[in-house]
Amino acid sequence: MSYSKTLLDHFNNPRNVGSLDRNDPAVGTGMVGAPACGDVMKLQVKVDPESGVIEEACFKTFGCSSAIASSSLATEWLKGRTVDEALQIRNTEIATELSLPPVKVHCSVLAEDAIRAAIADYKKKRARHEAE
Amino acid sequence: MDLRTPDYFAFFGLPRRLTIDAAELERRYYDLSRRLHPDVHFRRGPREQQESLEAAAILNDAYRTLKDPATRAEYLLRSEGVEVAERVPQELIEEVYGYNLALEEADAEALAEARRKFAGMLEDTAAELEQAARRYDAEPGPEALARVGALVGRRRFLTRLLAAAESRA
Repeated sequence: MSYSKTLLDHFNNPRNVGSLDRNDPAVGTGMVGAPACGDVMKLQVKVDPESGVIEEACFKTFGCSSAIASSSLATEWLKGRTVDEALQIRNTEIATELSLPPVKVHCSVLAEDAIRAAIADYKKKRARHEAE
Repeated sequence: MDLRTPDYFAFFGLPRRLTIDAAELERRYYDLSRRLHPDVHFRRGPREQQESLEAAAILNDAYRTLKDPATRAEYLLRSEGVEVAERVPQELIEEVYGYNLALEEADAEALAEARRKFAGMLEDTAAELEQAARRYDAEPGPEALARVGALVGRRRFLTRLLAAAESRA
């Protein structure tokens, strides 16, 4: 199995590794786990409450190279998008961009799940914030 | 008996249950071992000898599979077409993340804590599985079996996690 240049680049130089303050109301956190392999991925976004644009995105993934590359790419794509645009990112786009081999497509599914979980967390916090 | 897809329970003349009497299984195993032993059949034709050889092989597989409650549950699930949930249990994700972080930071204290936690969870899961197995036997049905499948998957995941954690201790 040979990996694409893009994948190896994201694996060797992962973008936006890190962590944001979970308690910040502008931050959404998605924590997901992968089937079988036990990979875990944390992906966070920081959203400008006025515009709804994602200002920062970061991740920390414990898993294989494909899981790391998928989440690294996802954070790059998230920055500058609105939260609704972010929800349109599909795992198939990630898989295509990284030329993931079929057995590794589930890693891109994990990244999509992480995006959705992070946005959902942000929206939940936002709703709670507005209600107060 | 169809030798290609043998029903291990039927092989021993036992009901398809998750909880079985271990002593009874063993008794039947020795009984069948004697009857199926190839040496008993050496005077008969080559076809009978071959058959007894195959049956003896199935007997050993069947005994190994049914003896252990864990492999027994997995076997029953598989033969009922129930998928064993191969997922990171949702409520465990944070724990697994924290454990990985502790590994990375070589935080011995956090690792020991994680190991204790996983061991406790595994014990709880085993107890829950026992209960779910008894419930299925009392009232077999797809729902009860699905519950067993979920717990078998959870136990498998925790066992792997704990083995990995202990190998780093």
